[in-house]
Amino acid sequence: MEKYTFFQKILLYIAITVFMTYILLPFFEMFMASLRPLEHLFRSPYQFWSDDMSLKAYSDIWDTVPLLGRYIFNSVFLATVTTILCMSFVIPAAYSYARFNFRGKRISLGLFLGVNMFAGAVLLIPLYKLLRSLGLLNTYAAMFVPGAAFLVPTGIWLLKAYLEKIPIELEESAYIDGASRMYILRKVVLPLAVPGLIVVGVATFIGAYAQQFLFAITFNQKREYMPLPAGIFEFVGYQSVIWNELMAASIVGIVPVLIIFLFLQKYLVEGLTKGAIKE
Amino acid sequence: MATVSLKSINKWFDTSQVLNDISLDIEDKEFVVFVGPSGCGKTTLLRIVAGLEEATTGEIEIDGIEVSSAHPIERGISMVFQSYALYPHLTVFENIAFPLRVAKMPKTELEEQVMRAAETLQLTDRLQHKPGQLSGGQRQRVAIGRSIVRQPKVFLFDEPLSNLDAALRGEMRVELAKLHKSLDATMIYVTHDQVEAMTLADRIVVISEGRLEQFGTPMELYHRPKTKFVAGFIGNPKMNFLKVPCLSSNSSGVTLKLPDIGEQLLPVEADTVEEGGNLEVGIRPEDFSLSDTDKGMPMKVEVVEHLGGSTMVYGSVADHLNFCALLPGDTEVSDDSVVKLEVNPASMHVFNSNGDAMRRREIPAMHR
Repeated sequence: MEKYTFFQKILLYIAITVFMTYILLPFFEMFMASLRPLEHLFRSPYQFWSDDMSLKAYSDIWDTVPLLGRYIFNSVFLATVTTILCMSFVIPAAYSYARFNFRGKRISLGLFLGVNMFAGAVLLIPLYKLLRSLGLLNTYAAMFVPGAAFLVPTGIWLLKAYLEKIPIELEESAYIDGASRMYILRKVVLPLAVPGLIVVGVATFIGAYAQQFLFAITFNQKREYMPLPAGIFEFVGYQSVIWNELMAASIVGIVPVLIIFLFLQKYLVEGLTKGAIKE
Repeated sequence: MATVSLKSINKWFDTSQVLNDISLDIEDKEFVVFVGPSGCGKTTLLRIVAGLEEATTGEIEIDGIEVSSAHPIERGISMVFQSYALYPHLTVFENIAFPLRVAKMPKTELEEQVMRAAETLQLTDRLQHKPGQLSGGQRQRVAIGRSIVRQPKVFLFDEPLSNLDAALRGEMRVELAKLHKSLDATMIYVTHDQVEAMTLADRIVVISEGRLEQFGTPMELYHRPKTKFVAGFIGNPKMNFLKVPCLSSNSSGVTLKLPDIGEQLLPVEADTVEEGGNLEVGIRPEDFSLSDTDKGMPMKVEVVEHLGGSTMVYGSVADHLNFCALLPGDTEVSDDSVVKLEVNPASMHVFNSNGDAMRRREIPAMHR
C-alpha cells in the first residue's frame, strides 16, 4: 500500500514547491542580476531575458575590487579558524556535560542557551572595549575570537546530545581495561562521534561564515583583513551601486560553503536524525 | 588463585539504599552467580566488585588484598557487559586487542595473545570483520575474547546472555561452562534467570531488595531455601504457597490443617512457632502426584499443558489461585475437572509469618 494517497502527494508537492521557491528565489534573482549589464537592471519594462546577458561581471569584479580574492580567502580563513577554535572548546565541554555530574551543570547549560538569545549587536560596545584593552582591534583575532565565543554554546548543546547517545558501557569497558579518560576520548568516543563532529563542525563553520560581517565592520578597519561580506561593500560607490558585480561577487563568495555542503550533506542528514530510529 | 570477599557492603543512591549489608566469601576458581529480580541490586553489587561504583560503606578484598578504592586494572578483574560493549569502529582483532593496546604490549606478543583467544572462541576467520557484521553469538564471543585476553584473576559477567534468543542462550550457557573449566578462573556472573543460575553456578547468591537472601549451592537452595523468597525464586515452575492455620507444634514438627486432607504433621524444626497462628506451606509443582484414592487436595483444573515428557496442570486449590502441578507426561486430566493431589509431607516447606523457612528434618528422594 502506498504511504500517501494521490491527493496527499499533490498537496505535499505544492507545499514543497512554495517553500523551495521562497527559499531559492533570492538566489535565482541574484544569479540573473549578475548576468545582466548594469543599465539592463534599470530598464523598464522588466525584461527577464535579453541577448546582452553575459558572464562579464564575473571577470570584471576582480578589476573593480582588486582585493576580492583576499576577501574571499579571509572569509574562508576566518570561518576555518573560528571553527577550529570553537571545536577545541566544544569537544571537551560537551563530553563533560554528557558524562559527568557536577554542581551547576543545569544552570550553566541554561545560561549557554540564554547567551544565544542575545543578538551579537547588543554586546558590540562592551566587546569593542574588551578587544581594545586586549589590543586585538584590527587583527584577525578581533573577528575569530568573538566569533568562536558566540558559537560555542550551540556547539556544546548539539554535540552533547550526540555524545549522550554513545552507550556508556563502551567507556566503562575501556575504563575496566585500564584506559585513561583521554585515551577513551581519543580512541573510543571521538571516532564514534565523527558524524556528530561533522554536524557541529559544519554548523559552526556556516555560523562563523554568516556572522563575520558584524564583527568585521566593528572591530576591524584594515582592508587586508576584511572578509567578503564586508569587502563586498566596495562595490557600493558614492554615485552608484554596481549591482551586477555585487551579485556576482556574492555568488563567488557562496561557492565555498556550497561545496562543503554538497560533500557533507549526507553526514549532516545522518547526524541530525541519528538515534531517532532504534537500530 | 583469586578469592573475592565482600565485607558489609552498603550502597546508597541519594536517599535510597540499594544494597544492605552484604557479606560473602567467594573461593578461588569458583563460579558464583548473583541472581534476583530486576532492580534488586545485583548489577550494582557486580559494578562495585568491578570498581565502576564505590560502595558507600564496606570493604572488598581480592586475593586477601583490600581493593575497595582501587582501579579495576589493579583489582585484576575483567568484565563482559550485557550489551557486549564492542567498539563498532574497530575490527574484531582490534576489539580483542584493545586491553593489550592500552597496556602497550609489544606487537608480536599482542598478536599471539589475540590469536590464542580467537582460537579458543572460534573467531579466527572473523578477525577482520567489524562487530556489525557478526551474529549475536559471535559478538558475545568477541566480548568474552576481550575479557580473557588480559588473563585477569576474576571474570565478571553482567547478564551476558540476556540479549540472545532462547536457543542461542542455551548453547552459550554450555560454552560458558566449558570456558570456566578450561580457564580455571574465578567467575562472578549476574543474571535474573534462575535457570542460568542453577545450571552454571557452583554457588548461587540470591539477592532481593538489596539484601542477601541466601548463598549456597544450587541444590542447597532448591532443597533448603532459607526464605519464602528464595523458595519462590529458585525452581521452575515456581513453588506453590498455601496459607494454613497451625494447630500445634512440638519437637517432631508442626501440625497444620491442609485443605481437605485435614490435620497433617510436617517434619520441620518448629521450636519458635506460636500455635493458632497462620503459617505458609510451600509445595513444589514437581512434588505433587495424582491421588489414586479419594483423599488429597482438591484442585479445580483450569488449564492443562501437555509438554510430552510431563504435563503441567494449572488451577486453584481452596481459595488459592494459580496453583501448578507437574505430573507425568501421560496423565489424563481434562479442563474444568477437579483432581485430587497428593504430596509427601516431608517434601513440603513451611514458612513462618516473617517469610523465614523452618528447616526440614529430611529431604526426601525425588519420586521420579
